[in-house]
Amino acid sequence: MDATLPDLVSQLDNVQGFVDALTSVRWKRHQDAVVELSEHGVVLIVEETGCLQAKVYLQKELFVNYEYTAEARPRFGVSLGLLVDCLNTFSVPGHSSTIELRYPGPDMQLLLKSVDSLDACIYAEIRTRIPDTISWDYNFEPLGTTPLSFTVKSAALKEAIDDLEWPGSSIKITLQPTPPSVTFRGEGHGDLQIDFMYYVNTDLLAAFSCDREVSHRYKYKFLRATTSNIPSSVVKDNRGSKVSVGRGGILKIQHLVSMARPAHSHIDSAGYQPPSRIAYIEFFVKPEEVDDD
Amino acid sequence: MGKICHVYLTKDHTFFLHNLLTNNGVQSIAQFRIDALFSDYHITSQSEDRIAFSLDLSLLLRALRSAAAISSAVDRLQIKLVKKLPPNSTNPMPFLTFETKGYASAVIQDIPISKPLSRAHVLELQTALDDAQDLPRTLVGVSELDSLLNFVERMKQLGDEMGVEIGKNGELGLKVSSSLVNLGAEFKRLMIIGEDSEQINGDGGMNVLVSMKHFVKCLQCHLAKPDCAFYGVGSQGGSLTVVYQFFVPGSRQTDKSISFHCRLPVLDPGS
Repeated sequence: MDATLPDLVSQLDNVQGFVDALTSVRWKRHQDAVVELSEHGVVLIVEETGCLQAKVYLQKELFVNYEYTAEARPRFGVSLGLLVDCLNTFSVPGHSSTIELRYPGPDMQLLLKSVDSLDACIYAEIRTRIPDTISWDYNFEPLGTTPLSFTVKSAALKEAIDDLEWPGSSIKITLQPTPPSVTFRGEGHGDLQIDFMYYVNTDLLAAFSCDREVSHRYKYKFLRATTSNIPSSVVKDNRGSKVSVGRGGILKIQHLVSMARPAHSHIDSAGYQPPSRIAYIEFFVKPEEVDDD
Repeated sequence: MGKICHVYLTKDHTFFLHNLLTNNGVQSIAQFRIDALFSDYHITSQSEDRIAFSLDLSLLLRALRSAAAISSAVDRLQIKLVKKLPPNSTNPMPFLTFETKGYASAVIQDIPISKPLSRAHVLELQTALDDAQDLPRTLVGVSELDSLLNFVERMKQLGDEMGVEIGKNGELGLKVSSSLVNLGAEFKRLMIIGEDSEQINGDGGMNVLVSMKHFVKCLQCHLAKPDCAFYGVGSQGGSLTVVYQFFVPGSRQTDKSISFHCRLPVLDPGS
């Protein structure tokens, strides 16, 4: 090895959580991701035709150790599918396996290595690319002074979006203050409307904030991408997913993926997870072009 | 392994053989000493009391399952090779007949089999069998078969070819490579049987490339619940051999009445 220090050497003890977090933004087979390393952690970004972007935030607190020595934040491109498949081989069901991530390797690879067993070693060298520039930065800005947002059980959100598949390709999402509710409406081959009422069912909507009616249309396939791959562990935890509408109708959907070590998940079954053991996933969806109707 | 296999019966052994007469695909050889399977056994034939035929394994499995279900109390199953006239036919056909007697019922099942192999073909099979019995000089043993299976199941997503390396100090290396990724695992300090160090000292280890499909197929042999699997490279690197070891139930002694191994054809690097 040469004398220069790698930009990042880190160890992670919950590979399955890492796999789950990355899988939730894998909405198609071949996807290029951009990974950005910083002193705060690792961010992975995927996007589609300037209309949909997803980010996975892995804060450095999720790592057993995190040695970051780079000056400028290094970025590299990698195939998301390949990264997930590789990480998967490190994950042993029922065990917490510890792996080391290192970047860059001698040929700018991302290097993975299992470190918890003396008699068996798994390693991977994943080729990285010069990253594509991100086509538009999803500068999510709130609209007005009161945020327009609601928090819904992840399983319910996923179910609602799954159910909206049949009506058609375009889904209108409406938030209104009186009565406080969220409406998903699909029109196409038929109509389907799903209402989440805030006061009627606080089990469903854990939080709701809206001071005026707002309504935008989104392509179904993009909405679907935001929930179709969330791992079963998230659905089972059934924490809230937070949905917000920002300036220009940009929709932001945030999921939380538990990165607790497998052995600890039972102890914390009361639902409490230290905040440092959560990976954040954010999706940004652009609304369809407005045609006055 | 495959649907059709050869059953080869001799005075002392029963063999189940896959792909022995073809040169591609995984060869597998399962050998049972007669007394491990049968309490009473008679065989006569014109080719030195050896009989070989091929049959559909799924039919055999079905017949055995149903026979086991019926005769659990009586524990007696008679298997015969017969020629019978199938319905609507004037040609007698060979069958393997299972006669099971339970308390209240008796069931006879006929499994269609191929015509017995000719004397020349039996000889050919025996020669192929002799060749296949030639085991590598060095084998390394993996006893944690579940974790190996689990790993390879995930690894197979990443490539079609698997590099296998047998190291002189009891290492087994598995590796997939493509233009985008190299991924591998190395298992160390495994059991070694046969000649160790000296023989493969020359080049530090033995390295072969096999089809991922074949390797995964071989791991399915774990369904037979072996206690250990030994990997080795055959003479001149011509094949990868996997020998399964079975213990006498409840002990750590190898059950010598059963032997089971597979041979995987080696791919040309670069092809």
